[in-house]
Amino acid sequence: MKKLMSLLALLFAFALVAAACSSDDDSDDDGSGSSSETEESSSDTDDGGDDDADAGSDDGGDDSVDLTQGGDLTFHMVTHSDDGPFWSVVKRGAEDAAAAVGVNLVWAPSNNDPEQQVADIDAAIAAGSNGIAASLASPDAVAPSLEAAVAAGIPVYTLNSGVNQYKDIGAVTHIGQTETVAGEGAGERFNDLGATKVLCAFQEQSNVGLEERCAGLENTFSGEVVSEFVGLDADQTAQQNTIAALLAEDDSIDAVLGTGPVVAVSALGASQDAGKELIIGGFDITPDIISAIDAGDIAFTVDQQQYLQGYLPVILMYLQATNQNTAGGGLPVLTGPGFVTPENAAEVAALVEAGTR
Amino acid sequence: MNQETTTEIAEKADDPGSGANATDERLSHRGPFQRLLTSPEIGALIGAVAIWAFFWAVSVPFGTAGGTANWLDVAATLGIMAVVVSMLMIGGEFDLSSGAMTGATGILVIMLVKDIGELGGAGLNLWIALPLSFLAALGVGWFNGTMVERTSLPSFIVTLGTFFVVRGAKLGFSKLIVDNVQVGRIDEGAGYEFWVKVFASTWTRTEHQFDNRDVFYNQFLLAGLVFIALAFFEMNFRRSRTGFSVWTGVALVGAVIGLGAYAGMHSTDGTSINWILAIVAAAGALIGIVGWARWRYDAAEPAAEADAGSMAVAGRYTLIGLALVGAAVLFAWWLDSTSERTVAFLITIQGLRAMLFVSLFVIGLVYLSRAAGAAGRAPNRNVFGIQMLIVAVIVAVAFFIQIESASRKFRTEFFSVMLLIALLFAVWSVVSLISAERRTPDPAADAWGRRLVLVGVLLAIAGVVIRLLFTTTAEIEAGGVPPASFSVRILWFLLVTIIAVFTLGRTRFGSWAFAVGGNKEAARQVGVPAARTKTQLFMIVSAGAWLVGMLLAFRLNSLQASTGDGLEFEYIIAAVVGGNLLTGGYGSAAGGAIGALIMAMSAQGIPFAGWNSDWRFVFLGVILLLAVIANNLIRARAEASRR
Amino acid sequence: MTDFTSDSTATAATLVEVRGISKYYGNIIALSDITTEVKSGTVTCVLGDNGAGKSTFIKILSGVHHHDDGELIVEGAPVRFSSPRDARDHGIATVYQDLAMVPLMSVWRNFWLGSEPTRRFGPIKIVDQSKAKDIAVEELAKMGIDIRDPEQPVGTLSGGERQSVAIARAAYFGAKVLILDEPTSALGVKQSGVVLRYIVEARRRNLGVIFITHNPNHAWPVGDRFMILNRGRSLGDFAKDEITQAELTQLMAGGAELEQLQHELSEATADT
Repeated sequence: MKKLMSLLALLFAFALVAAACSSDDDSDDDGSGSSSETEESSSDTDDGGDDDADAGSDDGGDDSVDLTQGGDLTFHMVTHSDDGPFWSVVKRGAEDAAAAVGVNLVWAPSNNDPEQQVADIDAAIAAGSNGIAASLASPDAVAPSLEAAVAAGIPVYTLNSGVNQYKDIGAVTHIGQTETVAGEGAGERFNDLGATKVLCAFQEQSNVGLEERCAGLENTFSGEVVSEFVGLDADQTAQQNTIAALLAEDDSIDAVLGTGPVVAVSALGASQDAGKELIIGGFDITPDIISAIDAGDIAFTVDQQQYLQGYLPVILMYLQATNQNTAGGGLPVLTGPGFVTPENAAEVAALVEAGTR
Repeated sequence: MNQETTTEIAEKADDPGSGANATDERLSHRGPFQRLLTSPEIGALIGAVAIWAFFWAVSVPFGTAGGTANWLDVAATLGIMAVVVSMLMIGGEFDLSSGAMTGATGILVIMLVKDIGELGGAGLNLWIALPLSFLAALGVGWFNGTMVERTSLPSFIVTLGTFFVVRGAKLGFSKLIVDNVQVGRIDEGAGYEFWVKVFASTWTRTEHQFDNRDVFYNQFLLAGLVFIALAFFEMNFRRSRTGFSVWTGVALVGAVIGLGAYAGMHSTDGTSINWILAIVAAAGALIGIVGWARWRYDAAEPAAEADAGSMAVAGRYTLIGLALVGAAVLFAWWLDSTSERTVAFLITIQGLRAMLFVSLFVIGLVYLSRAAGAAGRAPNRNVFGIQMLIVAVIVAVAFFIQIESASRKFRTEFFSVMLLIALLFAVWSVVSLISAERRTPDPAADAWGRRLVLVGVLLAIAGVVIRLLFTTTAEIEAGGVPPASFSVRILWFLLVTIIAVFTLGRTRFGSWAFAVGGNKEAARQVGVPAARTKTQLFMIVSAGAWLVGMLLAFRLNSLQASTGDGLEFEYIIAAVVGGNLLTGGYGSAAGGAIGALIMAMSAQGIPFAGWNSDWRFVFLGVILLLAVIANNLIRARAEASRR
Repeated sequence: MTDFTSDSTATAATLVEVRGISKYYGNIIALSDITTEVKSGTVTCVLGDNGAGKSTFIKILSGVHHHDDGELIVEGAPVRFSSPRDARDHGIATVYQDLAMVPLMSVWRNFWLGSEPTRRFGPIKIVDQSKAKDIAVEELAKMGIDIRDPEQPVGTLSGGERQSVAIARAAYFGAKVLILDEPTSALGVKQSGVVLRYIVEARRRNLGVIFITHNPNHAWPVGDRFMILNRGRSLGDFAKDEITQAELTQLMAGGAELEQLQHELSEATADT
């Protein structure tokens, strides 16, 4: 038993060191603590709630005062994040913004679990958050909680998904790309590249955003579109084989739009398996997809510049809390679509290396 | 229990043959099929064959070499894990960290070989990194096992903890060291050239030609079927005690005529001469079979005439069966075969037609075979008549399908397969008519029969494998051979399955695994090192996860931090589909492998068939439920027949 | 029920002798001053109601617990078992009522479990299946159990047959003394008869049997020696010719206490 305990102690020590290292990386501002863990910052939230009134009455004021007030502000970013390649850049943006203006940020990922997200939002309301930014991947499940937050007087912003619902729930604005517009952009690209039948391969079922991407593609693409679920990112080989099976089933498919970066790379593997040249487009950015674009194997990827989706909500919430600004004017703040093509792949690759694209 | 006993007694009373020859009155007779049905994986095996046949029939690409390579590729990694998870489940435990571990070991190796600078990148040679990561994986398995034993907590809870730690560590260390959630690339490691061959080489069919392929394929398949048929004869009929007789000669002559005509068919081209030779071959085969049966088995005892009541039932069933088959044909004829129009959510006209046809036809056949059963258990003329009717129905439907299958999606090969089935069934009926069924246990004949089945199955598999692996010059000249790449991971899957089956069945460790899962206290009482056995099982699972991690890392070159998360339940499901008990103590490693085949075929068959993927999980769920229910039914039947 | 009692008692060697053994759990006296003996080819029955100290007695003999006072003499030498394994090595095998078998495993695997015979197969050792099956069938036949198929799961055997497989296993692996813990308690009349038959069979093969039971009707036909336990004390240790079945039942039920109970019951009936 003693051996066991020392082993456990060792493990804990290891975990603590790892945690310490990562928070050092994220921010050099020790005072604000720009904590990335829900547990750590929840202890601060009470103070944040008490000082909220002061922050409002001070009406701007000079820099030093703002900083201390900012340090007492706590914003919650409650998303359906799976901490995958895409969301880690959003998180980075949010943390950078929080560090820049000196506020506390609670990053609550729910890994595509709407119930978890609802619980996190309710917790944020209970903790007296100064602002909640949430993604609406499952609007029906999450909206009531956000409405409750609005009713409690907490400024609510939506990010990433939810462009069609943010007004209904009373959010200040939406920061993201409209998925339909992004899909439409992809459709026009495929027209230019001369595709005739596109497989819209998506990696999550019941995700509104992904379905809108395929719907947007259908809006502008002049040929035929087939939309199919091809398996989760956690099992990349199965994804690749499923796309290969679809290609074998339907000879006339000559292009694939992956609604995520991993799917696009899987489609590339499938096209090589099937010995068939395909025009492949993707969404979002990973090192793999960038190098494939650079090599000319993948035609383009739609970049929604998700760093902004993390950065902007924090800044906007900060400005609303300290300066009573409300951005957007009733319209969403669009962060995309931008396109990464063989022409600009190398420059984007450098930024990806830095973790901000 | 009581009901079973009474039905058994009732059956015995009905059965004129049993009392006379039985040596042990407690032992009710079991036919060869029933005797083969006692292993845990048999239900899954039947299910796998059925699902394969189903998708083979509805989708042409599914049955091609490319399609086979496709679903086997998915089955391989799932299967390796399902096999090791089956072993652990037999030992009565779960490992929820197994899915995350596959990704974790791959990421660990990449990090060990990576050259990044101060933090990550041990910059190790792969020859060192692989054993090192293997040891680390074993360490996790040891930790799981030791924790479960020391704390006496359910392994579900302990490994759930490990799962979260592993999953978190994957993400945490990925971001800490490479500042990204995708970790690459393994090809930077020294020794990559060698190890990529071990873990990720492929066999591309188009590069390997073998012009005699189809000769091997046909002969192997035919020889395999003959062996399997012989095996069932040997197991089902009472062996004659007289030695060689004139019938031996008849059997030989028949075989020579049949084989000669068959060889002739393959060396001539004329259509009419082929027909004549085919008829000669069939006649020779029939003579050979009758000769064989007369020489080898006792002649059938004159069976008691079936009573009027059971004949009436048989007649009714025959009518129902024929009506159903007729309805199937009518429906198929009536519905437009080329229409792609959708009638309801995922069902096209074509799909509706296929489903109606198949289900009506199958139910019709079931009724016909029930008619044969009702006509009497002993082989007699009535049963033979109904069996011949079934043969005729199958042949007729085969011709109907051949004429009607204008659609691309329905295979023309179906025709030959159905004719073959009809032929086998006809042969079985003929031998049943003239030979006496064995009603006493004869372990020697059973062992002999099992060996024959094994040889037959291996021959048939060899034929199919040769067919899948090679292309012929003729095909390439005809143009358009679709590519098919078989990954080496299929061999790994096979290897792991064989080792696991061997270990469970033939070693002391295997016995102990069953014992600790079945009754741990009893095992302890007789000196089985229960804690050690369980810990070793956990380590086997981790070793399997390591292997899968390597297969993934070398295939994909860079891995997502989320790789494998959540797949542990798929492994457990595959194991359960394969006939392993969730509570431990019963099951087989081969079952886990077959369960993985079922899952992979179901998942990949849907896109091959071009079905709407929204319904994929509905289909999967139905398959899983059916598989498990079938397992239980078969097991219950098999166990009941032992009593 | 037939009387199976053997007449070879007098000539047999003493395998285990228990002299004045006591066991305390803290200040609770679990067993006090117990004395009995087991000779080869005899059956010693230990009778007692629930809580009489039967299981403590078994645990001392099978090496799970140590005795605090008195002497345990095995084949003439005083011993103190360090573990159940140690007891087994001294030839004392214990068959527990419901812990004996792995129900889903085949008969032959259960028979050999923990001591499977192996042979070399290339570089590895594999279980010698044909030998194992043959010996299992043969040994069970010696006990009078006709196994149709050694691959049959033990769970499909009747309760009595299952106990008997355990007995045959213990006998084959060199047990000289068999301790049977309540082998008949969960069985019906017929099944109990099966087990009793196998106990007699074990005795015929010159094993010493300690048969723990609370049913004097089961003990009487097979026993050569009877020790009755009550609240951790021995109410007596009798050879078969020193006691009658009626006396045994009387003692077993608590003697005077039972008379008292009968008296009270009859009074109660009279009152109403």
